[in-house]
Amino acid sequence: MTTSSLLIAAVGVPFALLLACIAPAIRERMPPLLALAPIPALAAALFADDTPVVLGNARFALSFALDEPGRMLLLVAAILWSAAGAYAATGLRGATHAGGFVVCWLMTLTGCIGVFLAADLVGFYFLLAVLSVGASGLVLQGGTAEALRASAVYLGLALIAEAFLLAGLVLLALATPDGSLLIRDAAAAIPTSPWRDLTLVLLIVGLGMKAGLVPLHFWMPLAYGVAPIPAAAVMSGAVVKASALALIRFLPLDVALPDFGLPLAAIGLFGAFYGVVIGITQSRPKIVLAYSSVSQMGFLVAVIGMGLAAGDAGAGRVASFYAAHHLLVKGALFLVAGVIATTGGRRLWWMLALAAILALGIGGLPLTGGALAKLAVKPVLGDGLVELLATLSAIGTTLLMLHFLHRLLASASPDPSASAPVGWVLSWMFMFVAALVVPWLLYSATGIDAWSDALQPKILWAALWPLLIGAGLALGLWRWGRYLPRVPEGDIVVAGQPALGVIARQGDALERVEGVLRQWPVAGLSLLTLILILGGVMFAGP
Amino acid sequence: MPHSLSTPDVTTPGGLLLVLAVLVPFVGMLAGMVLGGRGTRRVALAILVAGLAIAIAIADALVRSGAAVVYLLGGWAPPLGVALRADGLAVVMLLAVAVVIGGIGAYARADFGTPPGVREARAPLLFWLLLLAVWGSLNLVFVSGDLFTLYVALELLTFAGVPLVSLGGSPETLRSALRYLLYALFGSVLYLLGAVLLYGAYGTLDILLLATRVHPEPVAWAAAALMTVGLLAKTALFPLHLWLPPAHAGAPAAASAVLSGLVIKGSWFLAVRLWLDVFAGVVTVPSAQTLAALGAAAILVGNIVALRQARLKLLIAYSTVAQIGYLFLMFPLAAGLAAAQLDDAAAVNGGLLQAISHATAKAAMFMAAGLVYTTLGHDRIADLRGVARALPMTLVAFALGGASLIGLPPSGGFLAKWLLVSAAITTAQWWWALVMLVGGLLTSAYVFIVVVRALAPAPEGWTPKASVPCYQQAAVLALALGSFLLGMAVFCPVDVAGIGRAVVPGIGSP
Repeated sequence: MTTSSLLIAAVGVPFALLLACIAPAIRERMPPLLALAPIPALAAALFADDTPVVLGNARFALSFALDEPGRMLLLVAAILWSAAGAYAATGLRGATHAGGFVVCWLMTLTGCIGVFLAADLVGFYFLLAVLSVGASGLVLQGGTAEALRASAVYLGLALIAEAFLLAGLVLLALATPDGSLLIRDAAAAIPTSPWRDLTLVLLIVGLGMKAGLVPLHFWMPLAYGVAPIPAAAVMSGAVVKASALALIRFLPLDVALPDFGLPLAAIGLFGAFYGVVIGITQSRPKIVLAYSSVSQMGFLVAVIGMGLAAGDAGAGRVASFYAAHHLLVKGALFLVAGVIATTGGRRLWWMLALAAILALGIGGLPLTGGALAKLAVKPVLGDGLVELLATLSAIGTTLLMLHFLHRLLASASPDPSASAPVGWVLSWMFMFVAALVVPWLLYSATGIDAWSDALQPKILWAALWPLLIGAGLALGLWRWGRYLPRVPEGDIVVAGQPALGVIARQGDALERVEGVLRQWPVAGLSLLTLILILGGVMFAGP
Repeated sequence: MPHSLSTPDVTTPGGLLLVLAVLVPFVGMLAGMVLGGRGTRRVALAILVAGLAIAIAIADALVRSGAAVVYLLGGWAPPLGVALRADGLAVVMLLAVAVVIGGIGAYARADFGTPPGVREARAPLLFWLLLLAVWGSLNLVFVSGDLFTLYVALELLTFAGVPLVSLGGSPETLRSALRYLLYALFGSVLYLLGAVLLYGAYGTLDILLLATRVHPEPVAWAAAALMTVGLLAKTALFPLHLWLPPAHAGAPAAASAVLSGLVIKGSWFLAVRLWLDVFAGVVTVPSAQTLAALGAAAILVGNIVALRQARLKLLIAYSTVAQIGYLFLMFPLAAGLAAAQLDDAAAVNGGLLQAISHATAKAAMFMAAGLVYTTLGHDRIADLRGVARALPMTLVAFALGGASLIGLPPSGGFLAKWLLVSAAITTAQWWWALVMLVGGLLTSAYVFIVVVRALAPAPEGWTPKASVPCYQQAAVLALALGSFLLGMAVFCPVDVAGIGRAVVPGIGSP
């Protein structure tokens, strides 16, 4: 298999399945294929080299290529999509109206793989739009009024973010020499662009919104809270990484831009703590996980920001390694949240113990991928204040994850004989193994460092002690947690309600004005006034 | 002035096709009138196919020769004779209109058939005749080379469009039709006044000759202002849109599609022709910005008012008010590019794509609304439950059309937005880019509301009031898909719209 056929199959197979859904008969039989749809992407991540695939002509072409961050994320995303697809197929067995879910799933999958592979600006923007629309459709599959609201918020914010991005991408395209539309060329041209600052601000705002940076993070708890379990797993794991990957690809990480990097890191770190603080007041496991995503994405953006501030080209690799680990673990934890909600009795404790290993891994539990991820990003964060904040964030994450496990236990089925469907348990076990093993393989395969360095006692201890402090804090939280205020899911989104009222009143006023303009005398007058204005403006000269 | 060089005094190969493009619809109309009854529809449908073939042949001739297709009537060159001229702009519009009319014709086959047992019915007969008349006059607008023929074409277009509004015959629609007629009449008077001024001052009405003779002086400014505002009134650019919402929302679905998708594009196209080809040396950048300011107001007001509509057809009509605004953003961008001695292709192609993508998307959306109305017996947005189950293809079509209006890739709307935003940034007029982006967001809000309401499951035991034929749904979907995939035009190896457009002197240059 050549690279080009591998890459085309990676995007093309899910897309072909999506098109096949036009036939209702095929649509209803699609669920078993959901687990297989990402397999070509997995093959591409493993076997394709970095030759780009170009579709089009000299005037305009779409191109797809695998760079190092893209390959890493594509590999783990394909694993998650496959496991979550199997999980979803189990849930859909016997469902009568699976069509909507399947269409949205395949659309999101196509967009997700496509964004990871897209190497040109237009293709990237197109596939990102496919991804957003598909994902908001997945949120809508919750089927409740809350799902409708969450879906509207998700799509609205995604489209606002894409409006920023579109402006940024047009600026990029204009500043790139020779009319090249390749992301690589565009990123290289940013430092010399006449619109450098504006371009960076637009890109960072647009991608930051999609990455869930505080204060535009509220769509995450809303969306993940209502979406079906497998949808929440792929969205929090794979979909949200598209924005991080885009930041890595678009920002000129090899040029030191502290004026942009440091504020970005500050916002990211703020989000890392904000997610923990709000997360520990939540009681539903899925919502706690969503706030953990707010926190983790904040931390990831902080890593990218520090890389940009220092002009550290290697930051892209370690940031995508961090993202890859989070992708696997967060996806697995959403799946286990679904498994445990339908599990009771002795099996429960097994599941919970395994979940605990992964959950504490995010906090940096030694020997897990999380410890590797923290170790990998350490050089980018440097010494001093940021390193201290990173350690504090590990403590906070441990606290939040122990809170999650606590809430997970509380959400278990009260029926001791209850057990989750085999398909669910298998998908979760598969993800558990992948989340433990794959980071180790990636760590050495991508040349971040050797295993032996990660196993030194000093490094193990450095990862362990924040965990112990976090565990101590968690004991305090269980003892006194009931005194914490109850923060509504989506926190600051509640403040938006009065603002909507004000906007509605403005709309009323505007509608009345429009009504007046449509009166005959007014319209006649407008006609004459316009002639005078237009003539006058021309007369006034250029 | 490079224009004088490009005045061809010969009929080019394929020139006769231009005559056919104009005549065939009118001949079909006459034949339909003579045959009457069921014969009208048969003739009209045959003409739709023939017309599309002619449009394709013209496009072929244009691309082959790489220059404008010209026909001199009676062999007399302007200023003595009258020339028909189709440059890239005109040919692209000819093609787009032929496709949209074809889609509407396929859809209307079901709605405007003569009922069994009757030899002839008023609404179907009128619809098919008017459809052909609209088409013929639009083609005349695109290929006319002189301002008086254009005036005649515009009048024909208006007189064909007005009765389409009142096909239903209710007092309400008659009132909206009258409103439309009167306001369009004001527009015609203003246009004619401007044309007379030009003839008095420069002694010709031929577009190419005029372009070489006009100078920036008060009489030219007055003529430009009068003609432009007259055309704005016919295009219903905010705040001159009083007639549009009731007319477009009250007409039968297929007629709304013609009016909203096509008829308003005729006067818009003429405004483009005037500003780019006739008055390029007369109009100033600030005056172009005045037009775009109206466009921006249209986008904001139209979209917000659309969001607040309770009925689907009114929502779509207000969305047209907003989309007309986009069409006028190209003027200062083209002017800015020309003033900076740059190629104005980005702005012109952006505006053209916007017009075509709106024509296809809006026609599809109005027809989708018509199917929804037939199925539910109403078009209240709050109560669209069950549409997704009864009309899955139609809902997909509506969503695709909506995606094109929002400007999601790979739609024509996206490519148009990309080109216009690029032009806005190159000419340092970023505020127009901002308006476009905000407009896209507002559009997405109402498209989302409609789609989500339609996705809601129907109440238990609900059955559609009437079932619609599958081919009607397919016609709607085909048009919507055309609009959605129009962005693929970027893969086209030649810049068709730019063919045969002479380099015109920049705005502001003497």
